[in-house]
Amino acid sequence: MRRRGGIAIALTAMVAAALASTAGAGSSAAAKTQAVGCKSTLKVALVTPLTGGAGFLGNDQLSWAKYAVKTLAPKYGLKISLITGDTPVEQGPAPAQTLAQKYVADKTVVAVIGPATSGAVAASSQVYRDAGLAHISPSATRTSLTKGPALEGTSAFFRVVPGDYIQGPTDANFMIKKGAKNVVVIDFQEPYSQGLANAAENVLDKKGVTTTRLSIANTVTDFSSFVTKVPSSADFVFFPTQKPGDAQNFAQQLVEQGKKAKVFGGDGSNDSTQFKVPGSFVSNFAPDITAIAYNKSLIAGWQKDNPGKAVGSFGPPTYLAVQVALNAIKRACDVGKGSIKERADVVRNVKRIFVKNSILGGDFRFSTKSNDPLNAKFYIFEIQSNGSYKLVG
Amino acid sequence: MFPEPFRDRLATRVDEFIQLTLNGLTLGSVYALIALGYSLVYGILKLLNFAHGDVFMVGTFIGFGTLQLLGGSADPVVPVWLLLVLITLAAMAGCAVLGVAIERFAYRPLRDAPRIAPLISALGVSFFIAYSMQLMFGAALKNYDTFSLDGGALYFNGFDVGNVRVPLIRIITIVSAFVMMILLWLLVTRTRIGKAMRATSHDREAAAMMGIDIDRVIVFAFVLGSALAGAAGVLFALRVPTYATIGFLIGLKGFTAAVIGGIGSIPGALAGGLVLGFAEAYTQGYVSTRWSDLFVFVILILFLLFRPQGLLGKADIRKV
Repeated sequence: MRRRGGIAIALTAMVAAALASTAGAGSSAAAKTQAVGCKSTLKVALVTPLTGGAGFLGNDQLSWAKYAVKTLAPKYGLKISLITGDTPVEQGPAPAQTLAQKYVADKTVVAVIGPATSGAVAASSQVYRDAGLAHISPSATRTSLTKGPALEGTSAFFRVVPGDYIQGPTDANFMIKKGAKNVVVIDFQEPYSQGLANAAENVLDKKGVTTTRLSIANTVTDFSSFVTKVPSSADFVFFPTQKPGDAQNFAQQLVEQGKKAKVFGGDGSNDSTQFKVPGSFVSNFAPDITAIAYNKSLIAGWQKDNPGKAVGSFGPPTYLAVQVALNAIKRACDVGKGSIKERADVVRNVKRIFVKNSILGGDFRFSTKSNDPLNAKFYIFEIQSNGSYKLVG
Repeated sequence: MFPEPFRDRLATRVDEFIQLTLNGLTLGSVYALIALGYSLVYGILKLLNFAHGDVFMVGTFIGFGTLQLLGGSADPVVPVWLLLVLITLAAMAGCAVLGVAIERFAYRPLRDAPRIAPLISALGVSFFIAYSMQLMFGAALKNYDTFSLDGGALYFNGFDVGNVRVPLIRIITIVSAFVMMILLWLLVTRTRIGKAMRATSHDREAAAMMGIDIDRVIVFAFVLGSALAGAAGVLFALRVPTYATIGFLIGLKGFTAAVIGGIGSIPGALAGGLVLGFAEAYTQGYVSTRWSDLFVFVILILFLLFRPQGLLGKADIRKV
C-alpha cells in the first residue's frame, strides 16, 4: 500500500512538473509582449559559471557586474536588481537552457549579461531570441556565435569582446613571428577551446608550421602523459583552457619533462595570480586596463568594494556589457515613454549604443555587419620572471 | 647496424615509454592509496564509501591551507622537507577526523538498514562535502605551486633513466605512497588491532562474540582509510592543482582501482591502482588522448563482467 502511495506521489510530482513547464512556456510568450514600467525594479540576469573549474571567471564577472549596476543604474535613472544564474562548465549546456527558460518566463527580466561561455550561448540564444530578450556576453568568443553559415547565436545576441576569428589568427601570427616551426595545438573537448584551437591551427597550417593536435577531456587534471606526447622539437603548446591553473600545471610539467616548448594560453588563462610560469604567453581582449588614465577612479571604486582583489581580465568587459545593457534599457524606456512595451525594444536599442572612453580602452560601438564590437583586437602578454604580464603584441 | 634516423626514432620511442611508465607509476601509486580506503571500509562494513573521494579532496585543501600557514611555497618558514612532512601529517590528521565524523553521523545510524540506505547516505555526504568546500573556499583551482619551492628544486633535481628525468617530486610521491602501503600492510598483519580488523572483516558477528569491540574496529578502519586519502591528496596536489569537486572523478578512479585489484584486498588495492595508472598513461600515450577516461571505465566494466572478484580478491561463494 505504501509503495503504491509512493508511486502515486511520484506520478503526481511528474505531472505537476510537466504542467509547470507548460505554464512556464505560456508565461514566456506573455512576458514577451507585456509592458513593464520603468519606475519599477527591473531585473538584469548575469549568466556565468560561478562554481566549478571556471568559477573564478564568473566570480570576477559578478564583482564587476555588481559594481556596474550599483554605479551606473542611478545615472540612468533606473532601479535594477542583478540576479545570477550559475552555468558550471563541467555540466555542459543544460544549466544555460534551464536558466533561459526561467528568465524568459519572468517579464521583469529585461536583459541578460552573458551567457559567459560560448557553449552556453549556443544552447540558449534561440530561447532568448524567441522571447525578445537581449543577451550580451562579456566573454563568449566562439566565431560561429556571430559569423559563418552555421550561426549559433541569434539576432538578440551581442558580445562586447571580439571573437576567436580574431584571437586565433592573432595568436597564431604571433607564434609565427616568434619563429615557431612546430606547434602542438590542444583542445579540451568543449566549444570554447575547440573553436579557438581550430582558428589558430588553420592559420598555422596555411603558413607551413608543423602542427600536432591533441584533444584532452575537460576533466583531466594530471597532464603528464599529454606532455610526454609533446615533441621535443615543439616551440609552442597552444593551450586555450578556461582554467588558468591548468595552464600553470601544463607549463610546470613541460619543465619537469625537460621540454622546451612554451605554453601559449588564450584569454581564458589570462590570470596572473594562477598562471605565472615565466616565458609563457597569454592573449586577451583588452590591454592592461589599469594603465588607462581615465579608468583610475573607476578601478579605485571597484577595489573599494572588493578589497584585496586584483583586476582580472573577465571583469572589465562585464562592466562594459552592463553599461551597454543599461544604456539600451534606458533608451527603450525613453522610446516607450516610461515603460518598456516589449523586451525586444531593448534588443533594438543595443546595437545603437555608443560608449565614449570605454573601460576596455577607446570608444565602443558595435559593427554594422555583425553583433561584434567594431575594430576590436586581441593583445598578447608575456609572463615575466616575477610573474607579471608584459604587453608584447 | 641500423640507419641513424631509425635509431633516433627508436630512442625517442624508448624515452616515451619510460616517461609514460613513470607517469603511470606516479598516478597509480596515488590511486592505490585511495583504493586502500575503499577496500578497508568495504572489507569491514561491506559499504561502498562514495564520500571517500571527497575526503581525498579535503586532504588536498588541508595541505593547501597548511602550506599557506607555513608561509606558502615562495617563502616557507621551515625547510622544504619539514614543510612536506607537516602538510602531509596535517592532511592525514584532518581527514582522519573527517572520516570518523562521516562514520559516526552518516553511516553508523544506518548500520542495520537495508544496504541501499548507507549507499545513498554516502552519495549525500559526498555532495555535501564537495559543495560545502566550494562555498567556503571558492571555485578557483588551488595550486600548491611547488615549482616555487627552493627555486624549483623538486622539479630540476632527481636522476635520469636514459634521457628521461625522474624528478624529486615524483620520487617523493611514489616512495611515500609505497612506504605508507607497506606500513599499512604491517599494521594489518602484525598487530592486535590488525588482527581484530581481519576477524571483523571475516565474520562481524563471530568477532563480536569473541569480544572484539566492533565499533572501535570500524572507527579505526575509517581513521586509517581517511588518513591515507589525506596523504594521497597531498601527494597528488604536489603536482596537480586541486578544486572542490575534484573528489568525484578521482574517487571513482580509486574505486575502480579497488574493484580491479579485488575490493577488500590490500595487495589488490596496490595492484589495481598500478594497473589503472599504467592503463591511463599508456592509453593517453599510445591509443587516444581523447578517450583515455573511457578506456579506464571500460576496464572496470570488463572486470565486473568477467572477473568481479578482481585480480587478487576472493570469489564470493554462496551455498544454496
